[in-house]
Amino acid sequence: MATGNPVKPHRWGMVIDLDRCTGCEACVVACHAENNIGMSDPEEAARGRVNHWIRVDRYYEGEFPDVKVKYQPVLCQHCDEAPCEPVCPVNATYHNPEGLNVQVYNRCVGTFYCANNCPYTVRSFNWFDPKWPEPMQLQHNPDVSIRPGGVMEKCTFCIQKIKRVEEQAHAGSRPVADGEVQPACVQSCPAEAMVFGDLNDPDSKVSRFAGDGRATKLMEELGTKPKVIYLEKAR
Amino acid sequence: MFSLRAGAHLSEIPPSVSIGLQAEVTFAKLLATSSVLCTVKHHLLLFFSVALVVPHVRGEQPILFPHSTHINKVHLKCIDCHISADTSDAATIPGVRKCMLCHAKVATDKPEIKKLAAIAASGREIPWQRIYGFEKGAAVKFRHGPHARHKVPCATCHGDMPNAITAQPLVKHNMGTCITCHRQNNASDDCATCHY
Repeated sequence: MATGNPVKPHRWGMVIDLDRCTGCEACVVACHAENNIGMSDPEEAARGRVNHWIRVDRYYEGEFPDVKVKYQPVLCQHCDEAPCEPVCPVNATYHNPEGLNVQVYNRCVGTFYCANNCPYTVRSFNWFDPKWPEPMQLQHNPDVSIRPGGVMEKCTFCIQKIKRVEEQAHAGSRPVADGEVQPACVQSCPAEAMVFGDLNDPDSKVSRFAGDGRATKLMEELGTKPKVIYLEKAR
Repeated sequence: MFSLRAGAHLSEIPPSVSIGLQAEVTFAKLLATSSVLCTVKHHLLLFFSVALVVPHVRGEQPILFPHSTHINKVHLKCIDCHISADTSDAATIPGVRKCMLCHAKVATDKPEIKKLAAIAASGREIPWQRIYGFEKGAAVKFRHGPHARHKVPCATCHGDMPNAITAQPLVKHNMGTCITCHRQNNASDDCATCHY
């Protein structure tokens, strides 16, 4: 029987070009639809009990009317030295062989330690069982499980899409092509500001962008080694 | 009013339906006293004959489909009916039209085939009962395709179906079953292989 493991494991990463991002939040909507993320009441949202795996931060510079705006989509950075991982008492979050920071929902007991230790505040907690306004519960993605209340969740880099592409590639006895895996946010970005790919492949688009002069990482000084790379706005 | 469905007794009907039914029957009797409203009464009868389908007990299949006959005598392969088992996520259950490809002519006098023909004529699907599945909250995604590609025999998970009658869970599955097999065959035992 053949093994399911490729010879050289992928190391998935993402590049986000802040010069291209228009802050339209199509990525946020696509992420909600793809990953069965529940919706909060306005009252609960006002208490900070919202679930988003990706958000768009806005930075304003200058006084009105001479304002410059910078939009920055922030999702799980899938850090190589992830601060969320060592604090979990039940090992519900760990690094998988492909470099993804994975959350195992069945193991999670909801201690909240991981979210408290995440400098990017990208983890979201299910305060209640998730709910959707009718008829949106009919559009659930069957490839993604629905997380119950009391469980922490976060961006998976759309692991269900990664798995599917890897299986298709395996069925066709070929390697995964660059750009073949497209997480929901990347797929939906109208400005093509987001690029996803294998950081282990030196010829991939993400690897080339990662070597760009504009490339930075969010809060790199913390030593978290994020796998999401931002291309700063050109001055 | 009581000839709602052949073989359906009030005792079989779940309590919630039965209470509603009695209320409706009293209402229908009132309606029946008035000859003017006879068309309404007729509509009510029609409504009952359609809406009252007694649910099957879990695991009890609507038709005694003999897997053994189809595999041993007709020499069908699993994949002939469960056509997506080697490529897709779900193995799939064939539609009633597939059964009728043969059974429009074959063994038409047998009582189970008569049941089948009746379902086919009604334009509905056979209400097969699901026997395998994951607990709510298991957060497991199983895909048949990759397992078939790695030549895992159907019997590893589904047992001795060639000698079974209706679909039944011959093999009890839990995470240990999966993990043991994955480790023995050098497949990934990363949590995120199945849980996401």
